[in-house]
Order: sequence, then C-alpha cells, then structure tokens
Amino acid sequence: MNSRFINWIWQVRGSLALAPGQTSDDVFDRLSPLFRQTGTSHQRTGDSLTFRKKDPAAQDKMSVFDGGVLQIERESAGAVLHYNLNSRALLLCFLAPLLFLGFAQLTILAGKFEKPPVESSDPAKKAQEEAKKARMEAAKMIQNPIDKALGAPAPEKPKKDKAAEEKGKKKSPTSAYVFAGIFAALYLVGRLLEGRLVNSLFRKKLAGVG
Amino acid sequence: MEGVRVGKRIIGGQSPVTIGWDNIPKVEGGPVKQFVFTWFQPTVLFALIAFWYYAPNSIAKASTAIGIGIGFKVLLLCLEWAFPRHESWRLTWKELATDLFYVGLGYTILRLVEDYIGDGAMIEAILRQFDWDKFAWFMGMPLLLQAFLIAFIFDFGQYWMHRGMHNWYPLWLTHSVHHYITQLNINKGAVGNPVELFLIGLGIGGFFDFLPRAALLAGAFGMAIGTYQHINVRFNTPRWWRFLFNTTEHHSLHHSQDFEASRSNYSNTFIFIDRMFGTCVDGEAELLGMEGGRRMSISEQMTFPFTEGWKTMKEKWGKEKWGSRPHLDDATAIPAE
Repeated sequence: MNSRFINWIWQVRGSLALAPGQTSDDVFDRLSPLFRQTGTSHQRTGDSLTFRKKDPAAQDKMSVFDGGVLQIERESAGAVLHYNLNSRALLLCFLAPLLFLGFAQLTILAGKFEKPPVESSDPAKKAQEEAKKARMEAAKMIQNPIDKALGAPAPEKPKKDKAAEEKGKKKSPTSAYVFAGIFAALYLVGRLLEGRLVNSLFRKKLAGVG
Repeated sequence: MEGVRVGKRIIGGQSPVTIGWDNIPKVEGGPVKQFVFTWFQPTVLFALIAFWYYAPNSIAKASTAIGIGIGFKVLLLCLEWAFPRHESWRLTWKELATDLFYVGLGYTILRLVEDYIGDGAMIEAILRQFDWDKFAWFMGMPLLLQAFLIAFIFDFGQYWMHRGMHNWYPLWLTHSVHHYITQLNINKGAVGNPVELFLIGLGIGGFFDFLPRAALLAGAFGMAIGTYQHINVRFNTPRWWRFLFNTTEHHSLHHSQDFEASRSNYSNTFIFIDRMFGTCVDGEAELLGMEGGRRMSISEQMTFPFTEGWKTMKEKWGKEKWGSRPHLDDATAIPAE
C-alpha cells in the first residue's frame, strides 16, 4: 500500500512562499535557532535541511516532531519552502483510542469472570453473617450530637436496591470509553493545531519576528 | 552556586532555588486579581467542606465527587492557561496529551489491576473478618474529625511511602521516572512508571468506604489542597495555609534539579507532617527534573526502572565476579535521599 494514504496521520506537510531574492543560506540562517535546541541535530545540504530530535525539551517549540526535511524549491512564481515533518506523538495519540478500547474489552472480560459471592449454606454461619450485616447497618446510623446540632443530614438507611447494587459492583468499561473519546478529540486538535503552529513559527522566523 | 543553609543542609548548591516565603514573588496585577488569587484556595476548600457537610444524602455520592473533581480540574487548566506561574512551564499539546495518557491509565488498567492485587483486594478480605461494633467509636466522632483523621492517616502513610521511595534504591527506581518531569501542570501528579503509580495508590481509602460522607469530606481535603501541588499558577497563599498544607512552591522545590532540595517536602496534602519530621523546606524552584532537565519519552518512562535496575545489577554482580566491587553511586538513578 502506498504510505502516502496513511502517513498524513503522523506527517505534517506545508509550504511557505519566500520573499523575492531570499537565498537558501538566508532562509536556513533565520530558521537555525529552531534547530539549535537540546537533543536536536541537523544537516544542511544546498537547498535542503534535515533534522532529527531525541527527547526534546518540553518547551522546545518543535518538540512534537521527531525529524523532518525542509526543502527550498524555485518555482515560476518564486521560491517556496516546503516542509515535511514526522511526529511520533501524533501517531501514538492517533492509536491511543485503540489502546483504551482494548482496556474496555479487558474490563468487560474481567467482569465476566467475576463470580458472585457464595452465600454460606450452613444456617449457623448464615445467621452470623446476617447479624454482622445488621450490626454494620446500625453502626452506620450513628450521628455525633455536634453534627446533629449543626444541621448535617442524618445518615439514612440505604435503600434495598439489589439491581443497582449489583450494577455498582460490576466492573465498568465507561472510563476506558471516555478516554478513547478524549484521545480521538485530542488527536484532531493536535493534528490541526500543531500544523498551524509550526507554519506560523516558520513564517515568523523568516520574517525576523520572534 | 553557593546555596542556602537550611538546618544542617545546603539547599540550592546545584541548581537555583528560592528559599524563604519572603523571597517568593507575589501575584502581580490589579486589586481584583490580587483578591481572587489570595482567596481562591481557602474559598474553594471551605465551600467544598460546607457542601459535603450539608448536601442531602441523595447528592452526597461518589458520582457527584467525580463530577466536581473533573470540573475543578478543567477550571484549574483554564487558570494555568490564562495565568501561568512560569512561561517555562506552559502546557503544550504534547505535554497535555502525555499527562492525560497517565491519567487515563490510572482510571482504567491500573484500577483493574488494583482490584485484584492492590489494596482493594486486601481491604475487602480484612473487612470480611471485621466486627463493626469495634468501629462504632470512630463512627460516633464528629464528621469533620472523622474526615480529617481519614485524610491524615492516608497522608501519613503516603509520606513514609514517598520518603521510602527517596531512600531505598529499588523503590527509587520506580519513583525516579516521576522526577524526570521538567515542569508542573495540573495532571503531572499522574505521570510516573505504572509500578510506582500502583505502589503510591496503595492506601487505606477502601477502609472508609462505609462512611460515605466522611470519606467524601476527606476526598475534598485531598482535592482542594493536594491538587495545587502540581499547578502552574501563582497564588498569594495565606500564611496559615502554607504552614499547614502542601503548596506548589513546596512541591516545586521537591522537583528541583538540586539534589538536596529534592530531599524535602514529601507529603501530599499536609506539609505539617514534613514539619514534624524535619523534612520541610519553604521555598520554590523553576528549574525542575533530573540529568539537567532531560525530558523522558513515554516509552522510556515505562521501561526505565527495569533497564536501570538491570544495569545496576549487572554492574554490581558482573564486576564482583572479577574481584572489584563497584559503587552503586555510579548508576544514573541515584536515590534522592
């Protein structure tokens, strides 16, 4: 399969028109502070610049990218800077929903294997357990006079809702689904935002601003 | 770098830190901003206490607490975005995604594992043998005292687990990953190797599930105090607050690149536990992390305790075969106490 159909997931491409008369050296000199960051190595050959990043600092303005190529092409309308940047962070964020959906399935599976507590068949033991339960219920009803005087609501006997109780005890995959959704949204935001940010970063550097 | 003498220790000899409350910058801006950032923390704490104290039984439920917790975190994220304490700690998309990945692990797979082999399983086994009459004295105490005791006992345990992590090499290996964070943001508390997250999650919380209102109040203490540990917002925290409670200033010092500074402020919520045991240092730091502030990737965070432990073991046992005994100090991950 041609990787171009899927590599938009982790690749950010774009181009910027250069000012008339701007040389390759001038362009790359202006951009060079971006490649003089911790963990960044780069190589310039004529009209192209290749860079690689390992463990970039959190505040590195291009920290989301692991490497890429910047190429200046002379076209009829003028010189254009094309860039093609790779981001493992974007790829992992794209895949993260699958991981969380996997966790959801695992939670459901674990719930299926969970056995309900076995009630004792021994009547003496059963009676003992019942008494213990009753003592616990009674203990839960205790309220300190200070709390009563200050107007805190008195503890209530829990309603006997067996179905809700069972539901509460069962392992729920909801949080895994929520995080799958969060990462799907986060990917969309990141893919658009980081593309725009790097474009504006290059534009500002080329214009000599910031 | 000279550093500052605090007791018998020199803090800030390796990396810049600010020691002493009087030397810490104040919130800048107009009177409204000053007012908001002075009273925000106490107001939220007392409002939450009042809420959980008086909420009807139908509302005083764990699901309400989860909802409030999420809403509060979103609000704090907005505050971080609008009023960052340090520009160098600004939340980027990549940092947010990384932090949320760990938050997600905590809510899903780690919770599942803890159900089987964590405190949840152990507490359930103990509670089955429990006679409730013996616990009635606790349930008869005023609610706020119950809540404080739950929060305090939990934090006391956390303090020693955390201090242990900074003292004992095998535990430090798991915790060191968390110390590679280079900035503080609201969700940074969740970042760490899953083994550490499992260990730090061990506690006594499950013992108090049967006291819903007291447990919710204790949770409110944790939320309205502990959350500020990893926040990138400056507050004019009241004097009594910073004497009793952990703050982002205390915790930034704990995360400082300065080795001695990182050996302080271990508690989660109540900094007075550190004061009790002589490990509290009042101050702040901006330069955080390990190895000069190297940022660790998620894949390294997952494997670091194992690869580093293996390296150390190989170094120790491998060389011993040839008659020389190397120093553990040569390893990259040195316990920070």
